[in-house]
Amino acid sequence: MTAARLTATLLLVGFVLPCGSFAAASEDSRTVIGPSNLNLYDGANALMAGDAEEGVRLTLLGLNMAANERERHIAFSNLCAGYILLGQLDTALDYCNRVLARNDRHWRSYNNRALIYVKQKRYLEAEQDILKGQELNPNSRNLKIVRGMLLDETDPVSPNIIIDDRRHPPRHDEDH
Amino acid sequence: MKITSIFCTALAAITLAAASVADNVPRVSHLTDDSGDRVPLLTMVPAYPEMARRDRIEGEVQVCFNVDRKGKPYRISVRKSTSRVFERPAMRAIRASMYKPLPSGEKPSGIKTCRTFRFHLEPDVADDAR
Repeated sequence: MTAARLTATLLLVGFVLPCGSFAAASEDSRTVIGPSNLNLYDGANALMAGDAEEGVRLTLLGLNMAANERERHIAFSNLCAGYILLGQLDTALDYCNRVLARNDRHWRSYNNRALIYVKQKRYLEAEQDILKGQELNPNSRNLKIVRGMLLDETDPVSPNIIIDDRRHPPRHDEDH
Repeated sequence: MKITSIFCTALAAITLAAASVADNVPRVSHLTDDSGDRVPLLTMVPAYPEMARRDRIEGEVQVCFNVDRKGKPYRISVRKSTSRVFERPAMRAIRASMYKPLPSGEKPSGIKTCRTFRFHLEPDVADDAR
């Protein structure tokens, strides 16, 4: 059995997109307001398109123009994700910490921070963040994936498939 | 006209690359005896579902089917299953498997053939530990 391990990079990032809303005064009159912080909006879109450099650049511009705490919060969250994409884990960690200092119920930041910790081989802290994230969002697929990545580091496994064509197979433990 | 502007939050999670894969190629054991009605010719091994491997799920699926005279399985169905995640790969493996064709003049018995797939995960042993 080979223990060769292919480790691809999995990045799970949660972006918060500020976007416009419809305000309908009547059936036939509608005004559409665009994003209030265009750089933040474009930065999020760039990050989601996988363009981390442009995404981070625009998000930093958006952060400078942030009009309120909410926009700053969004910027920090997206910068955490963006710097993970860029592989700048210490910077990403700093932004994740800033989000969680403001809102300790932001499961996506726990998810992102856990991912950073896994990559930094800080497995206990990763486990703690996954648990906190799962308390807040028990059904998160992202957290499950990060948990799988953690397990792959701490408790790697290889698949073993038994194909049994016997009509009357003996008891399970006799197979081995 | 009343104009309102709100933040619409769209939470998007994106997976940018494939999940880490410890070892994609499963170790395979094929257990047979002489009790089978038909002789396997080509046995396809199901893929271990990545999601199951990631979540450390193990399980077992028994698939039963008929084999036509040319050796192709048909009327394939799951008889027993401990976890649905394994059913599709098991069915797919059966669909792609073949049995020895019957000699001309011989008719299929009509008896269902069953195959059990056991999906296990074993601790990975580091290369230098061997």
